[in-house]
Amino acid sequence: MNNGAAGLRSWFENYLAAFNRADFPAFGDYYDPDIIFHGQAARLVGRDAVLAFYHEVHSHLQERIELLGFVGAPDGSRIAAELHTTLLALRDWPDMPTGAMRAGDARMRVSFAMYDIADGRFTRIRTARFSPPDGQAA
Amino acid sequence: MTPEARFRAYLQAFNASDWEALRGYYAPDVRLVIGNGTLLDGCDAILAFYRKVKRETRRTIRVVQCFAEGQTLAAEIESEFLATEDAPDFAVRPMAKGDRYYLNSFVFYDFEGEHYTRIRAATFRSEFRPAAAN
Repeated sequence: MNNGAAGLRSWFENYLAAFNRADFPAFGDYYDPDIIFHGQAARLVGRDAVLAFYHEVHSHLQERIELLGFVGAPDGSRIAAELHTTLLALRDWPDMPTGAMRAGDARMRVSFAMYDIADGRFTRIRTARFSPPDGQAA
Repeated sequence: MTPEARFRAYLQAFNASDWEALRGYYAPDVRLVIGNGTLLDGCDAILAFYRKVKRETRRTIRVVQCFAEGQTLAAEIESEFLATEDAPDFAVRPMAKGDRYYLNSFVFYDFEGEHYTRIRAATFRSEFRPAAAN
């Protein structure tokens, strides 16, 4: 999976690239079958549940993630990432879990995410929303 | 000393309210953003903030995990605030004497040499336990 810190970062960047092009088989392959997922919009268990969630998300909006910061554990078992997410609503989604969106709405946020890794897959993903100081955009 | 060991020593100083030791971990112009988005600009502002917090509550921080790469350390920390007096203006929420507040945070610490230059926290989970429930 990785050859030291640089390899871990490259592996993670490939995950984000797959996510951003909505390549479900490719980014889904990063998830352990029993992954625990604590995102902003959902708490889920299992790869199938996470992929079903993202299928639902992608039917309503485009989601693009940019990597702002990366810290990899030396043993490759954990990643901490600072992520900038842009959501663009493709159609109205009044029941969007983190707040209703109308077609054309854009929403941006910065999150700190913790990834646990075993055998080349994410076993747990947890995200926390970062609140930038007043006057600073997300 | 590794960044991880230095971080644990830093939190030990924090838990002991060893203000002079704490000062030694910060660059003079360090910037800290706490979980609610408040910016504390400079070492003196940070220490003044923590002194106030510790007048109103007994705060204990536990390291869940930490690891560093390059000039950044990532940490998951758990804080417990126990209000030692009524604190209606407490930074997180109003607290009455005996109330407890738990905070699980993800934090990035940028450092140069032995000094933290930028600290940013995001709240992953929080829980309020009123005194009556303790």
